[in-house]
Amino acid sequence: MSLVPQVLKSLKTLPPFPVVAKRALMLLGHSEVSIQELVEIIKYDPAITANILRISNSAFFGLRREIHSLHQALLLLGTQELLKIIIASGATRIFCRATPGYFNDHLGLWRHSVSTALMADLLARELTLAERSISFTAGLLHDIGKLVLSLYVDQKFTEIMEVVETRQVSFQAAEREVLGIDHAQLGGEMARLWDFPDRLRLVIYLHHLDKPEAYADDLVLLIYLADLLVLMFGQDLGADGLAYEGYPDVLRHFHLRERDLEKILLNFGSSWQEAQVVFGLMGNDDGLQCVNRR
Amino acid sequence: MVGVADLKVSNKPEEVLVTHALGSCIGVAIYDPEARVGGILHYMLPDSSLDPVKGQENPHMFADTGLPRLFRECYQKGAQKSRLQVKVAGGSQVLGSREYFQIGRRNFAALRKIFLKNNVLIDKAHVGGTKARTLFLEIATGNVWVKIMGQNMEPL
Repeated sequence: MSLVPQVLKSLKTLPPFPVVAKRALMLLGHSEVSIQELVEIIKYDPAITANILRISNSAFFGLRREIHSLHQALLLLGTQELLKIIIASGATRIFCRATPGYFNDHLGLWRHSVSTALMADLLARELTLAERSISFTAGLLHDIGKLVLSLYVDQKFTEIMEVVETRQVSFQAAEREVLGIDHAQLGGEMARLWDFPDRLRLVIYLHHLDKPEAYADDLVLLIYLADLLVLMFGQDLGADGLAYEGYPDVLRHFHLRERDLEKILLNFGSSWQEAQVVFGLMGNDDGLQCVNRR
Repeated sequence: MVGVADLKVSNKPEEVLVTHALGSCIGVAIYDPEARVGGILHYMLPDSSLDPVKGQENPHMFADTGLPRLFRECYQKGAQKSRLQVKVAGGSQVLGSREYFQIGRRNFAALRKIFLKNNVLIDKAHVGGTKARTLFLEIATGNVWVKIMGQNMEPL
Protein backbone atom coordinates (compact mmCIF):
# COMPACT_ATOMS: atom_id res chain seq x y z
CA MET A 1 0.00 0.00 0.00
CA SER A 2 1.38 3.36 -0.97
CA LEU A 3 1.96 5.86 1.78
CA VAL A 4 2.21 8.74 -0.67
CA PRO A 5 -1.08 10.46 0.25
CA GLN A 6 -0.12 10.30 3.92
CA VAL A 7 3.38 11.62 3.30
CA LEU A 8 2.13 14.48 1.16
CA LYS A 9 -0.50 15.32 3.73
CA SER A 10 2.19 15.69 6.37
CA LEU A 11 3.67 18.48 4.23
CA LYS A 12 0.68 20.61 5.19
CA THR A 13 2.15 21.01 8.65
CA LEU A 14 5.63 21.74 7.31
CA PRO A 15 7.15 24.59 9.33
CA PRO A 16 8.15 27.61 7.22
CA PHE A 17 11.76 27.83 6.05
CA PRO A 18 13.43 30.48 8.25
CA VAL A 19 12.80 33.88 6.64
CA VAL A 20 16.32 35.20 7.04
CA ALA A 21 17.88 32.15 5.42
CA LYS A 22 15.31 32.33 2.65
CA ARG A 23 16.14 35.93 1.81
CA ALA A 24 19.84 35.10 1.80
CA LEU A 25 19.14 32.19 -0.59
CA MET A 26 17.65 34.60 -3.08
CA LEU A 27 20.83 36.69 -3.12
CA LEU A 28 23.20 33.76 -3.43
CA GLY A 29 25.27 33.83 -6.61
CA HIS A 30 24.31 37.41 -7.45
CA SER A 31 27.47 39.34 -8.15
CA GLU A 32 26.36 42.62 -6.66
CA VAL A 33 24.90 42.41 -3.21
CA SER A 34 25.11 45.61 -1.20
CA ILE A 35 25.95 45.87 2.46
CA GLN A 36 22.61 47.55 2.89
CA GLU A 37 20.76 44.52 1.53
CA LEU A 38 22.58 42.18 3.87
CA VAL A 39 21.99 44.35 6.89
CA GLU A 40 18.32 44.50 5.94
CA ILE A 41 18.18 40.73 5.96
CA ILE A 42 19.81 40.17 9.27
CA LYS A 43 18.76 43.05 11.43
CA TYR A 44 15.55 41.45 12.64
CA ASP A 45 17.35 38.42 13.94
CA PRO A 46 19.83 39.10 16.73
CA ALA A 47 20.60 35.40 17.16
CA ILE A 48 21.86 35.18 13.59
CA THR A 49 24.04 38.26 14.01
CA ALA A 50 25.58 36.68 17.08
CA ASN A 51 26.14 33.45 15.15
CA ILE A 52 27.75 35.29 12.25
CA LEU A 53 30.24 36.98 14.54
CA ARG A 54 30.98 33.73 16.33
CA ILE A 55 31.56 31.84 13.10
CA SER A 56 33.58 34.61 11.46
CA ASN A 57 35.88 34.63 14.45
CA SER A 58 36.39 30.89 14.49
CA ALA A 59 39.66 29.36 13.41
CA PHE A 60 37.79 27.91 10.43
CA PHE A 61 38.04 31.17 8.52
CA GLY A 62 41.49 31.92 9.85
CA LEU A 63 41.07 35.68 10.08
CA ARG A 64 43.80 37.36 12.04
CA ARG A 65 41.76 40.19 13.44
CA GLU A 66 38.88 39.85 15.82
CA ILE A 67 35.60 40.82 14.21
CA HIS A 68 33.18 42.93 16.21
CA SER A 69 30.59 44.04 13.69
CA LEU A 70 28.65 42.82 10.72
CA HIS A 71 30.35 45.43 8.54
CA GLN A 72 33.76 44.13 9.47
CA ALA A 73 32.70 40.54 8.80
CA LEU A 74 31.44 41.59 5.41
CA LEU A 75 34.62 43.40 4.47
CA LEU A 76 36.87 40.54 5.51
CA LEU A 77 34.83 37.58 4.33
CA GLY A 78 32.97 38.99 1.34
CA THR A 79 29.26 38.92 0.69
CA GLN A 80 28.98 35.41 -0.74
CA GLU A 81 30.84 33.89 2.18
CA LEU A 82 28.63 35.79 4.58
CA LEU A 83 25.47 34.62 2.80
CA LYS A 84 26.61 31.02 3.34
CA ILE A 85 26.92 31.68 7.04
CA ILE A 86 23.51 33.34 7.20
CA ILE A 87 21.85 30.42 5.42
CA ALA A 88 23.60 27.87 7.63
CA SER A 89 22.62 29.80 10.76
CA GLY A 90 19.00 29.96 9.69
CA ALA A 91 18.90 26.35 8.54
CA THR A 92 20.00 24.91 11.90
CA ARG A 93 16.51 25.70 13.11
CA ILE A 94 14.87 23.24 10.79
CA PHE A 95 17.66 20.68 10.88
CA CYS A 96 18.26 20.14 14.57
CA ARG A 97 15.55 17.61 15.16
CA ALA A 98 15.19 13.88 15.45
CA THR A 99 15.24 11.94 12.18
CA PRO A 100 14.58 8.36 13.28
CA GLY A 101 14.86 5.84 10.47
CA TYR A 102 18.03 7.59 9.32
CA PHE A 103 19.87 8.69 12.45
CA ASN A 104 19.96 7.83 16.14
CA ASP A 105 20.59 11.29 17.47
CA HIS A 106 18.91 14.60 16.70
CA LEU A 107 22.09 16.08 15.20
CA GLY A 108 22.66 13.26 12.72
CA LEU A 109 21.10 14.87 9.66
CA TRP A 110 22.60 18.27 10.43
CA ARG A 111 26.02 16.66 10.72
CA HIS A 112 25.66 14.95 7.36
CA SER A 113 24.33 18.16 5.78
CA VAL A 114 27.22 20.27 7.05
CA SER A 115 29.71 17.64 5.88
CA THR A 116 28.18 17.53 2.41
CA ALA A 117 28.23 21.34 2.24
CA LEU A 118 31.88 21.36 3.18
CA MET A 119 32.72 18.62 0.70
CA ALA A 120 30.80 20.40 -2.08
CA ASP A 121 32.74 23.56 -1.33
CA LEU A 122 36.02 21.67 -1.44
CA LEU A 123 35.10 19.89 -4.69
CA ALA A 124 34.03 23.14 -6.33
CA ARG A 125 37.44 24.57 -5.48
CA GLU A 126 39.25 21.43 -6.62
CA LEU A 127 37.37 21.32 -9.92
CA THR A 128 37.61 25.11 -10.25
CA LEU A 129 33.90 25.59 -10.62
CA ALA A 130 33.01 29.20 -10.05
CA GLU A 131 30.00 28.65 -7.86
CA ARG A 132 31.38 27.85 -4.44
CA SER A 133 28.74 29.57 -2.36
CA ILE A 134 25.92 27.86 -4.25
CA SER A 135 27.71 24.52 -3.98
CA PHE A 136 27.98 24.88 -0.22
CA THR A 137 24.31 25.75 0.17
CA ALA A 138 23.10 23.06 -2.20
CA GLY A 139 25.15 20.53 -0.20
CA LEU A 140 23.67 21.82 3.01
CA LEU A 141 20.08 21.47 1.81
CA HIS A 142 20.25 18.40 -0.46
CA ASP A 143 18.65 16.03 2.07
CA ILE A 144 15.78 18.18 3.40
CA GLY A 145 13.40 15.45 2.26
CA LYS A 146 14.73 13.22 5.04
CA LEU A 147 13.35 15.66 7.62
CA VAL A 148 9.82 14.66 6.69
CA LEU A 149 10.32 11.17 5.30
CA SER A 150 12.20 9.97 8.38
CA LEU A 151 9.07 9.04 10.35
CA TYR A 152 7.81 6.86 7.51
CA VAL A 153 11.22 5.31 6.90
CA ASP A 154 11.34 4.50 10.59
CA GLN A 155 7.96 2.73 10.43
CA LYS A 156 8.95 0.65 7.42
CA PHE A 157 12.67 0.35 8.09
CA THR A 158 12.81 -3.45 8.13
CA GLU A 159 10.97 -3.71 4.81
CA ILE A 160 13.15 -1.07 3.17
CA MET A 161 16.33 -2.76 4.37
CA GLU A 162 15.09 -6.09 3.08
CA VAL A 163 14.66 -4.64 -0.40
CA VAL A 164 18.16 -3.12 -0.21
CA GLU A 165 19.71 -6.38 0.86
CA THR A 166 17.90 -8.92 -1.24
CA ARG A 167 18.13 -6.95 -4.46
CA GLN A 168 21.21 -4.78 -3.91
CA VAL A 169 19.39 -1.61 -4.89
CA SER A 170 20.05 1.79 -3.33
CA PHE A 171 18.32 2.84 -0.13
CA GLN A 172 16.57 5.59 -2.05
CA ALA A 173 15.20 3.15 -4.66
CA ALA A 174 13.99 0.96 -1.80
CA GLU A 175 12.24 3.91 -0.16
CA ARG A 176 10.42 4.55 -3.40
CA GLU A 177 9.43 0.94 -3.70
CA VAL A 178 8.18 0.50 -0.13
CA LEU A 179 6.79 3.99 0.59
CA GLY A 180 5.91 5.08 -2.95
CA ILE A 181 8.13 8.15 -2.66
CA ASP A 182 11.81 8.74 -1.83
CA HIS A 183 13.60 11.48 0.10
CA ALA A 184 14.83 13.24 -3.05
CA GLN A 185 11.34 13.47 -4.56
CA LEU A 186 9.90 14.66 -1.27
CA GLY A 187 12.75 17.15 -0.85
CA GLY A 188 11.94 18.56 -4.29
CA GLU A 189 8.34 18.96 -3.20
CA MET A 190 9.42 20.75 -0.02
CA ALA A 191 11.69 23.05 -2.02
CA ARG A 192 8.67 23.97 -4.12
CA LEU A 193 6.56 24.74 -1.05
CA TRP A 194 9.42 26.77 0.40
CA ASP A 195 9.85 28.67 -2.88
CA PHE A 196 13.51 27.81 -3.29
CA PRO A 197 15.21 28.99 -6.49
CA ASP A 198 14.56 26.50 -9.31
CA ARG A 199 18.13 25.36 -9.67
CA LEU A 200 18.42 24.51 -6.00
CA ARG A 201 15.11 22.66 -6.11
CA LEU A 202 16.39 20.55 -9.00
CA VAL A 203 19.61 19.71 -7.17
CA ILE A 204 17.57 18.43 -4.23
CA TYR A 205 15.20 16.51 -6.49
CA LEU A 206 17.91 14.97 -8.68
CA HIS A 207 20.84 14.48 -6.29
CA HIS A 208 20.84 10.68 -6.64
CA LEU A 209 21.00 10.94 -10.45
CA ASP A 210 18.07 8.62 -11.03
CA LYS A 211 16.72 10.72 -13.92
CA PRO A 212 18.46 11.64 -17.17
CA GLU A 213 17.93 15.38 -16.67
CA ALA A 214 20.29 15.21 -13.68
CA TYR A 215 23.21 15.28 -16.10
CA ALA A 216 22.21 18.69 -17.49
CA ASP A 217 23.67 20.66 -14.59
CA ASP A 218 27.19 20.27 -13.18
CA LEU A 219 25.93 21.42 -9.80
CA VAL A 220 23.70 18.34 -9.51
CA LEU A 221 26.65 16.07 -10.33
CA LEU A 222 28.85 17.91 -7.87
CA ILE A 223 26.39 17.49 -5.00
CA TYR A 224 25.88 13.84 -5.88
CA LEU A 225 29.63 13.27 -5.73
CA ALA A 226 30.06 15.29 -2.53
CA ASP A 227 27.33 13.23 -0.86
CA LEU A 228 28.95 9.97 -1.95
CA LEU A 229 32.42 11.01 -0.75
CA VAL A 230 31.01 12.04 2.62
CA LEU A 231 29.42 8.59 2.94
CA MET A 232 32.79 7.02 2.19
CA PHE A 233 34.48 9.23 4.77
CA GLY A 234 31.98 7.67 7.11
CA GLN A 235 31.78 9.87 10.16
CA ASP A 236 28.15 10.92 9.72
CA LEU A 237 26.70 7.74 8.32
CA GLY A 238 23.13 6.85 9.12
CA ALA A 239 21.19 3.61 9.04
CA ASP A 240 21.14 3.81 5.23
CA GLY A 241 24.93 3.41 5.28
CA LEU A 242 26.63 3.55 1.90
CA ALA A 243 23.75 1.94 0.04
CA TYR A 244 23.77 4.39 -2.86
CA GLU A 245 24.86 3.96 -6.47
CA GLY A 246 28.37 4.96 -7.52
CA TYR A 247 28.26 6.14 -11.13
CA PRO A 248 31.63 6.15 -12.93
CA ASP A 249 30.22 8.59 -15.55
CA VAL A 250 30.41 11.38 -13.00
CA LEU A 251 34.10 10.72 -12.37
CA ARG A 252 34.76 10.77 -16.10
CA HIS A 253 32.74 13.95 -16.46
CA PHE A 254 34.93 15.75 -13.92
CA HIS A 255 38.13 13.96 -15.10
CA LEU A 256 38.68 12.44 -11.68
CA ARG A 257 40.64 9.26 -11.01
CA GLU A 258 40.47 7.07 -7.92
CA ARG A 259 43.65 8.64 -6.62
CA ASP A 260 42.07 12.09 -6.91
CA LEU A 261 39.20 10.88 -4.73
CA GLU A 262 41.70 9.76 -2.11
CA LYS A 263 43.33 13.17 -2.17
CA ILE A 264 39.98 14.88 -1.79
CA LEU A 265 39.14 12.68 1.20
CA LEU A 266 42.49 13.54 2.70
CA ASN A 267 41.88 17.28 2.38
CA PHE A 268 38.37 16.89 3.67
CA GLY A 269 39.68 15.05 6.73
CA SER A 270 41.86 18.03 7.58
CA SER A 271 39.09 20.65 7.57
CA TRP A 272 36.27 18.47 8.83
CA GLN A 273 37.09 18.63 12.53
CA GLU A 274 37.23 22.41 12.56
CA ALA A 275 33.94 22.68 10.70
CA GLN A 276 32.32 20.39 13.25
CA VAL A 277 33.06 22.90 15.96
CA VAL A 278 31.90 25.86 13.90
CA PHE A 279 28.54 24.32 13.14
CA GLY A 280 27.77 23.31 16.69
CA LEU A 281 28.45 19.62 16.25
CA MET A 282 31.29 19.37 18.71
CA GLY A 283 32.03 21.48 21.75
CA ASN A 284 29.40 23.99 22.75
CA ASP A 285 30.96 27.34 23.14
CA ASP A 286 32.13 28.71 19.84
CA GLY A 287 29.78 26.89 17.51
CA LEU A 288 26.36 27.62 16.14
CA GLN A 289 23.71 27.14 18.72
CA CYS A 290 21.13 24.55 17.97
CA VAL A 291 17.89 26.38 18.63
CA ASN A 292 15.50 23.55 18.25
CA ARG A 293 16.97 20.94 20.57
CA ARG A 294 14.59 18.14 21.35
CA MET B 1 37.17 7.33 21.64
CA VAL B 2 39.31 6.76 18.60
CA GLY B 3 38.64 9.43 15.94
CA VAL B 4 39.25 9.32 12.18
CA ALA B 5 42.93 8.84 11.39
CA ASP B 6 43.55 8.14 15.05
CA LEU B 7 45.10 5.49 17.28
CA LYS B 8 44.58 4.56 20.95
CA VAL B 9 46.35 1.88 22.92
CA SER B 10 45.48 0.96 26.49
CA ASN B 11 46.21 -1.44 29.33
CA LYS B 12 43.62 0.01 31.70
CA PRO B 13 41.05 -2.71 32.40
CA GLU B 14 38.25 -0.20 32.99
CA GLU B 15 38.54 1.18 29.46
CA VAL B 16 36.57 0.35 26.34
CA LEU B 17 38.04 1.69 23.12
CA VAL B 18 35.53 2.64 20.45
CA THR B 19 35.73 4.02 16.96
CA HIS B 20 32.56 5.32 15.36
CA ALA B 21 31.00 5.20 11.95
CA LEU B 22 33.49 3.44 9.72
CA GLY B 23 32.59 3.94 6.07
CA SER B 24 35.32 3.07 3.64
CA CYS B 25 37.80 3.56 6.49
CA ILE B 26 39.11 0.55 8.41
CA GLY B 27 39.20 -0.06 12.14
CA VAL B 28 41.79 -2.57 13.40
CA ALA B 29 41.57 -3.90 16.96
CA ILE B 30 44.49 -5.91 18.33
CA TYR B 31 44.71 -7.44 21.81
CA ASP B 32 47.13 -9.51 23.87
CA PRO B 33 45.09 -11.53 26.43
CA GLU B 34 48.10 -12.20 28.67
CA ALA B 35 49.47 -8.69 28.88
CA ARG B 36 45.90 -7.34 28.69
CA VAL B 37 46.99 -4.69 26.29
CA GLY B 38 45.00 -3.65 23.26
CA GLY B 39 44.58 -0.90 20.73
CA ILE B 40 42.46 0.38 17.89
CA LEU B 41 43.66 2.13 14.74
CA HIS B 42 41.15 3.93 12.50
CA TYR B 43 42.82 4.70 9.17
CA MET B 44 41.32 6.41 6.12
CA LEU B 45 43.45 5.50 3.14
CA PRO B 46 45.69 2.67 1.95
CA ASP B 47 48.99 4.27 1.15
CA SER B 48 50.98 7.28 2.35
CA SER B 49 52.68 7.69 -1.04
CA LEU B 50 49.57 9.76 -1.83
CA ASP B 51 50.90 12.55 0.38
CA PRO B 52 54.09 11.69 2.26
CA VAL B 53 54.09 14.99 4.15
CA LYS B 54 50.65 14.34 5.60
CA GLY B 55 51.69 10.76 6.25
CA GLN B 56 54.50 12.05 8.37
CA GLU B 57 52.36 14.63 10.16
CA ASN B 58 49.68 12.08 10.95
CA PRO B 59 50.77 8.48 10.29
CA HIS B 60 47.37 7.22 11.46
CA MET B 61 45.74 8.37 8.24
CA PHE B 62 47.23 5.55 6.19
CA ALA B 63 47.46 1.77 6.48
CA ASP B 64 51.17 1.59 5.67
CA THR B 65 52.20 4.16 8.29
CA GLY B 66 49.47 3.54 10.89
CA LEU B 67 49.60 -0.25 11.27
CA PRO B 68 53.27 -0.46 12.34
CA ARG B 69 52.55 2.16 14.98
CA LEU B 70 49.57 0.28 16.35
CA PHE B 71 51.68 -2.84 16.83
CA ARG B 72 54.70 -0.97 18.15
CA GLU B 73 52.68 0.90 20.77
CA CYS B 74 51.12 -2.34 21.98
CA TYR B 75 54.57 -3.97 22.19
CA GLN B 76 55.77 -1.03 24.26
CA LYS B 77 53.03 -1.80 26.76
CA GLY B 78 54.10 -5.44 26.98
CA ALA B 79 52.16 -7.14 24.20
CA GLN B 80 53.80 -9.94 22.22
CA LYS B 81 53.22 -10.54 18.56
CA SER B 82 52.57 -14.28 18.90
CA ARG B 83 49.70 -13.71 21.35
CA LEU B 84 47.93 -10.91 19.51
CA GLN B 85 44.31 -11.33 18.45
CA VAL B 86 43.62 -9.28 15.35
CA LYS B 87 40.15 -8.14 14.33
CA VAL B 88 39.20 -5.86 11.48
CA ALA B 89 36.03 -3.92 10.57
CA GLY B 90 35.00 -1.38 7.95
CA GLY B 91 36.01 -1.01 4.32
CA SER B 92 32.46 -0.46 3.07
CA GLN B 93 31.66 0.40 -0.52
CA VAL B 94 28.96 2.22 -2.39
CA LEU B 95 26.94 0.15 -4.85
CA GLY B 96 27.82 -0.33 -8.50
CA SER B 97 30.89 -1.10 -10.52
CA ARG B 98 33.89 -2.90 -9.04
CA GLU B 99 36.30 -0.52 -10.70
CA TYR B 100 35.29 2.81 -9.27
CA PHE B 101 34.81 4.27 -5.79
CA GLN B 102 36.89 1.38 -4.44
CA ILE B 103 38.61 3.05 -1.50
CA GLY B 104 37.05 0.63 0.99
CA ARG B 105 38.28 -2.39 -0.92
CA ARG B 106 41.75 -0.92 -1.43
CA ASN B 107 41.93 -0.10 2.27
CA PHE B 108 41.37 -3.73 3.18
CA ALA B 109 43.69 -4.99 0.43
CA ALA B 110 46.49 -2.77 1.75
CA LEU B 111 46.06 -4.21 5.22
CA ARG B 112 46.14 -7.78 4.00
CA LYS B 113 49.29 -7.12 2.02
CA ILE B 114 51.04 -5.59 5.02
CA PHE B 115 49.90 -8.42 7.30
CA LEU B 116 51.04 -11.05 4.83
CA LYS B 117 54.48 -9.51 4.63
CA ASN B 118 54.75 -9.37 8.41
CA ASN B 119 53.21 -12.72 9.08
CA VAL B 120 50.17 -11.46 10.95
CA LEU B 121 46.93 -13.44 10.72
CA ILE B 122 43.49 -11.87 10.92
CA ASP B 123 41.29 -13.71 13.43
CA LYS B 124 38.00 -12.10 12.46
CA ALA B 125 36.97 -9.55 9.87
CA HIS B 126 33.70 -7.74 9.30
CA VAL B 127 34.38 -5.83 6.11
CA GLY B 128 32.81 -4.74 2.85
CA GLY B 129 29.17 -4.28 1.95
CA THR B 130 27.36 -0.98 2.35
CA LYS B 131 27.03 -0.92 6.13
CA ALA B 132 28.22 1.72 8.58
CA ARG B 133 30.03 0.06 11.48
CA THR B 134 31.20 1.07 14.93
CA LEU B 135 33.97 -1.01 16.54
CA PHE B 136 34.43 -1.64 20.30
CA LEU B 137 37.33 -3.25 22.20
CA GLU B 138 37.04 -4.01 25.91
CA ILE B 139 40.50 -3.89 27.49
CA ALA B 140 39.59 -6.02 30.52
CA THR B 141 38.55 -9.03 28.39
CA GLY B 142 39.67 -8.40 24.84
CA ASN B 143 36.09 -8.77 23.68
CA VAL B 144 35.37 -7.02 20.40
CA TRP B 145 31.94 -5.97 19.15
CA VAL B 146 30.69 -4.47 15.94
CA LYS B 147 27.60 -2.33 15.88
CA ILE B 148 26.01 -1.88 12.50
CA MET B 149 24.09 1.36 12.26
CA GLY B 150 20.39 0.66 12.62
CA GLN B 151 21.02 -2.84 14.02
CA ASN B 152 22.17 -4.52 17.23
CA MET B 153 25.68 -5.06 18.54
CA GLU B 154 27.30 -8.34 17.65
CA PRO B 155 30.45 -9.94 19.03
CA LEU B 156 33.34 -10.24 16.57
